[in-house]
Amino acid sequence: MSISNEYLRQLMERVVKRNPAEPEFHQAVSEVLASLSPVVDAHPAYIREGVMDCLVEPERIIKFRVPWEDDQGNVHVNRGFRVQFSSAIGPYKGGLRFHPSVYEGIIKFLGFEQIFKNSLTGLPIGGGKGGSDFDPKGKSENEVMRFCQSFMTELFKYIGPDTDVPAGDIGVGGREIGYLFGQYKRLANEFTGVLTGKGLTYGGSLARTEATGYGLCYFTDNMLRDNGRSFDGATVAVSGSGNVAIYACEKAAAFGAKVVAMSDSGGYVYDKNGIDLPLIKQLKEVERRRISAYVETHPEAEYHTGCAGIWTIPCGIALPCATQNELDGQAAKTLIANGCFAVAEGANMPCTPEAVDALQAAGVLFAPAKAANAGGVATSALEMSQNSMRFYWSFEEVDDHLKRIMTDLYRNASDAAARFGMPGNLAAGANIAGFLKVADSMLAYGVV
Amino acid sequence: MNEYIARVLERLERLYPNEPEYLQCVRAWLDMIAPAVDRPEYERLDVLSRMVEPERMFSFLVPWQDDQGATHTNHGYRVQFSSAIGPYKGGLRFHPSVTASVVKFLGFEQTYKNALTGLPIGGAAGGADFDPRGRSNREIMRFCQSFMFNLYRYIGSDTDVPAGDIGVGVREIGYLYGAYKRVTGRAESSALTGKGLTYGGSKIRQAAAGFGTVYFLARMLEHQGEELAGKRIAISGFGNMSWGVCRKAAELGGRVVTLSGPDGYVYDPDGVVTQEKFDFVRDLRSSGLDRVEPYAEKFGVTFYPGKKPWEAPVDIVIPCAAENEITVDDAVLILANGVRYYVEAANMPASADALKLLRLSPKILTAGAKAAGSGGVAVSALEMVQNSLRYSWSRREVDEKLRGIMSSIYDASAAAAEEYGLGYDLIAGNDIAAFKKISEAMIAQGL
Repeated sequence: MSISNEYLRQLMERVVKRNPAEPEFHQAVSEVLASLSPVVDAHPAYIREGVMDCLVEPERIIKFRVPWEDDQGNVHVNRGFRVQFSSAIGPYKGGLRFHPSVYEGIIKFLGFEQIFKNSLTGLPIGGGKGGSDFDPKGKSENEVMRFCQSFMTELFKYIGPDTDVPAGDIGVGGREIGYLFGQYKRLANEFTGVLTGKGLTYGGSLARTEATGYGLCYFTDNMLRDNGRSFDGATVAVSGSGNVAIYACEKAAAFGAKVVAMSDSGGYVYDKNGIDLPLIKQLKEVERRRISAYVETHPEAEYHTGCAGIWTIPCGIALPCATQNELDGQAAKTLIANGCFAVAEGANMPCTPEAVDALQAAGVLFAPAKAANAGGVATSALEMSQNSMRFYWSFEEVDDHLKRIMTDLYRNASDAAARFGMPGNLAAGANIAGFLKVADSMLAYGVV
Repeated sequence: MNEYIARVLERLERLYPNEPEYLQCVRAWLDMIAPAVDRPEYERLDVLSRMVEPERMFSFLVPWQDDQGATHTNHGYRVQFSSAIGPYKGGLRFHPSVTASVVKFLGFEQTYKNALTGLPIGGAAGGADFDPRGRSNREIMRFCQSFMFNLYRYIGSDTDVPAGDIGVGVREIGYLYGAYKRVTGRAESSALTGKGLTYGGSKIRQAAAGFGTVYFLARMLEHQGEELAGKRIAISGFGNMSWGVCRKAAELGGRVVTLSGPDGYVYDPDGVVTQEKFDFVRDLRSSGLDRVEPYAEKFGVTFYPGKKPWEAPVDIVIPCAAENEITVDDAVLILANGVRYYVEAANMPASADALKLLRLSPKILTAGAKAAGSGGVAVSALEMVQNSLRYSWSRREVDEKLRGIMSSIYDASAAAAEEYGLGYDLIAGNDIAAFKKISEAMIAQGL
């Protein structure tokens, strides 16, 4: 999809010029501007009032040195980043990524995407992202702790429950959030909802683990029913066997579907009687074993090495929940030939652009990740709500909120797509709906 | 002692029965200033109760990791005693003996010591029950960082300005300041004093306490029509304070003949008077060995294991080590040896009874730590002045100002003693002058 609006095309050229050597950021901006072209054609005020120019420039970028000591007493120096992209609709919110590939361009790309994803949840959260080129792999607990402490010693000046609320991302899980929160609390002397993804004993939310998988199914359920289809009685293939896949499987089954396949990085199992989810949980969450062990107790099921083959299994609904680019053009064609009528992305960007084109051309219902897997960040925002009110909801209450959020989210994306002449294109609809809320707020604030 | 003073003390004894060091110094102070508590408004405004208790106290946990990754937990303290005449100011002590009581005692003494420097500094003290002995640089660094991550929110150049004390030297101040700067994001150099010369420290700071004591002593000698030249001095300790006394005494013609450590004392009849000896003492201290015997081996003088230096035949005694190091027996010995001047450099080095014995004896002239030992904090305050100026003075300028400050402390103490009919009682005079200054500032600022 190219940028049809002339002003946005020139804006894109300026973005490339001002942010050289940041291809990920260019790509993300380019995709969003392309889907927003019809919006600014209809509402030139967004251009006239400078909203578009402001939107592609982070409100603030903070870069800092992170020195830390390894267990041998050697000193290492990493770089830390926090991009506070947009506070138009709420405090900056977005994850921290600790990975050697992290540099300013990656963080800007992620922060930019986060604006629209967060806006789409309907909750008052702005867009931000941060991280470091620190590689947690092979580091001891103490080293990870010291790194997190040093990182937070700088970061704490810029964050806060009304300012900027980081969360986890790649390399930053519950353990790292614990260390980061501990140091924040010590330095700021405040026990607040300054980070999300916290443990249950110190301010985390129930249903956080289940949120992305459940949310995916709530979104998909809305999409199916809107098109006269249903989970009930459908055959479903779910790739992956992590949190997203396991809880997508659980919720799909609760909606009456039969999940017949799951996978891990070694291969996939096909159980035509329906996957035994308690066994998967036992294998993956407790015993930490490969999924191939499934057939030891279920000889009637089949195990195949290699993951891509999972899409050759006949199914009505495919839920790719493993990793990026796991479902390519060829797999899409096989799914279509086997009668698949819906694909919903649980992982980030699991379908290649060719796959998406093929699915949409064949009239398969497609739920893009940016909308369909927003249950995770939505529950982060619910964690903030609970921290703010100093009270915790039950699992059922959080789940009810999540259900309502995903329903609204589907409705917003779907309506926006229809309103701007692209009915059923939920990817464009998600960008547009997310944009409108942010852009209208920016108009209200004037030039600031 | 009048009835009001007795009531103040009784209340304190009831409230803090388990804080002996604190009660000891308050008792001694009330005793000293009693003649000056002569206006009804002191009682009406309950000035004394407000002067003997800290305005604020913090205690906090200091968790840290040793080089093996094992976790340790110490207790940190900061007592903000009085801000009547300036931001809280006083040292940090890292030593296993540190308790809330010790820190309160130090903060109290500091308040009345700071008052007479003529500089705008209030009183405070802090520290931790951390033992730096045997710890690696990195362990010290990690401890200092963890300590500062708590302390930073209570301090600042207009609020509270910590400095070093026992166990906190220029290395620790460096780590503490580095952590403060990182966590606040401000290169606010006057938030700590005792800094290294490259990042805002003052010249003379290391030797200041010892220099100041000798300047004070010089004024006492002058009053008696004597001079330092030819005088023999016994001192305890071998740290910064001792080092400064040795140098300035040598410069003015006197000679320090003893040094002491936990292992005993050395007697050097020729005196610690050469650059080689000064350097050796400084290196011995920073070696972390905590023993003074190597000095005797190096310079071929006698080492007395397990003994205190007070048995040496001298003209002047200057205790430079820890509190309560001089007992009644030591005081008797000092008097019997015909010592003529007793000048305190360390804080509260004599027990209450020992000090009374010395102070009331007509054979010896005495000066207390709050006056004679205030050279260190005076140069700390001069460091703050230079930081605020964003400019540094030369060695000579700092030394000149230090001499002037010590001289004015002497004058104020002597004048107050005279005014209240206490003759040449410099200890009482000093306490009274400080009491007058602080109480006046407090009354002016209301309740």
